[in-house]
Amino acid sequence: MLSMYEKTKINVRKKKSRDTRYYVSFWLFILPCAALFVLFFVVPLFLNIINSFFNYDGFRTREFIGFSNYVQLFSDRDFYNALYRTLMYTVVSLPFKIFIPLGLAALLVSKTTKLKTITRSLIYLPVLLSSLVVGLTINWMFSEQYGLVNYLLQQMGMNGINWATEPFFARLLVIIASTWASTGFYMLIYIGALNGVSEDVYEAAQIDGANTFKSFFKITIPLIKPTTFLVSLLSIISLLKEYALVQGITRGGPGTATTYVVQYILTTGFDQSKHGYASAASVVVMLIFAMIALIQYKFTNGGELND
Amino acid sequence: MTKQKNDWGFFLTTISLFSGILFFFPILWLVLSSFKGSGELFAYPLNFLPQEFTLENYQRVINNGFFQYVYNSFVIAIVGTVITVVINSMCGYALAVYRKKIGYTGFVSGIFLLGMLIPSETLVISQFSVISFLGMYNSIWGVILPVVTTTTGIFMYRQFFIGVPDSFIEAARMDGASEAKIFLKIMLPLAKPTTITLIIFSFMWRWNDFILPLLVLSTQNQYTIQIAIRNYISAWTTDWSSILAGSVISMIPITVLFIVLQKYIVGTNLASGNK
Repeated sequence: MLSMYEKTKINVRKKKSRDTRYYVSFWLFILPCAALFVLFFVVPLFLNIINSFFNYDGFRTREFIGFSNYVQLFSDRDFYNALYRTLMYTVVSLPFKIFIPLGLAALLVSKTTKLKTITRSLIYLPVLLSSLVVGLTINWMFSEQYGLVNYLLQQMGMNGINWATEPFFARLLVIIASTWASTGFYMLIYIGALNGVSEDVYEAAQIDGANTFKSFFKITIPLIKPTTFLVSLLSIISLLKEYALVQGITRGGPGTATTYVVQYILTTGFDQSKHGYASAASVVVMLIFAMIALIQYKFTNGGELND
Repeated sequence: MTKQKNDWGFFLTTISLFSGILFFFPILWLVLSSFKGSGELFAYPLNFLPQEFTLENYQRVINNGFFQYVYNSFVIAIVGTVITVVINSMCGYALAVYRKKIGYTGFVSGIFLLGMLIPSETLVISQFSVISFLGMYNSIWGVILPVVTTTTGIFMYRQFFIGVPDSFIEAARMDGASEAKIFLKIMLPLAKPTTITLIIFSFMWRWNDFILPLLVLSTQNQYTIQIAIRNYISAWTTDWSSILAGSVISMIPITVLFIVLQKYIVGTNLASGNK
């Protein structure tokens, strides 16, 4: 018979070796992801910050210049125009990104609506396309000379619209394209949320005499607030980094009317070989994203990481 | 009462179906246009259906080596997806099942989450430096490896495995199964719906990738479909005939994949599926 003391000792040793086994397994399991994440995300993140203090052309010239890039950046009209344009684009597009999917989702969870599956698939289809092809598809519909939309306008006795040469319409077109391509995705998220609202809530509301519209606005919308928060967050992030889509429609034009900040960074960094300067611009944009991340973190209880 | 309800249903169905058609229409118009000859594409009046059905746009892109681009895109999408599924499932699994054994899994999860909140678009300049430094410039690895760690994939698996009762794993451990065996033989097969969802997403992301291929792939025989299509636009002219055919070809694989596997997407938590 082993004494109590020896038993405990064996148990402790057993537990220790099991714990080691867990630590080793854990790190082996996450190693591939972690290594690639460090290599292609963490390293570039720091490299970006470091390079922002250098005059660097991406090849040979590389000299430390302190905060000069930042000083120059804040007097660079091109930069903050691009930044301002991007923020405006995000603010103006956001309501479309929320209300259109929400409305369609409400239609598609209603028991009285028929042919739901086919409708849902039709709306979801644009989500599958690449941003470039999304841009090109909308571009083709709205092309000034041979586009269907201008043709129809002319058939109705109106003048065609200069979609590509008038800044206002060029921007509108980008918003149309981006909304078109994302609606299906956000709609599915909303459908999931709406299906999650318990039937009892509606029954109770009906007994209290609320009609469908009233119960939708007074009960459903407040209940699915977390979903709306999520949709807004995902939309803001994707709007701020819009690039490929614009390449398919206006390529940033006319002039710089639709040149958003990612395009500004890429043009400055690669076409003009100003790596250091573009890195400084990236850092500023990154800070904006970090702020959004912080807001999200605050609102969702630490990203809901504790299950 | 019933009559009223029917009218209401008819009204709602009409609106929703009309919206569906409205959303589908640009794609339909693109596809129909791709079968029109240049005489018809660039002349009024416009017709809805091709007056003279022709494959000349498709012949044009194929003669310009489009199959090579299709092939390149397939290689990148398939290799990228395989790696994504393998490593993301491992990572998500570890973050889920060891969360009660190891104190800092929450912290590690938080770090990975940063990857979603700070988009790589803002890091692309330095990412490019790293890719060049590693000798991956103009190589498919320079397009694949930077993007295979996906926050969405990791968290989809993490979420799934958190839902599996601990007793499952404990029982297997009692039977003396190794940690790797528990993952491969017991847990991963359970996560099949998650795996299929991630396959669809990952294939779509890689197939549609734009910025990295644009920067990293420099010789024409390495181009993906997206880059090839983009190159049909030059500063002076836009080669719409090629763009139309190329775009339609680029849509086919994802649409097929989606139709075949779509029953798995419905019912999955799509909230995590953006990147």
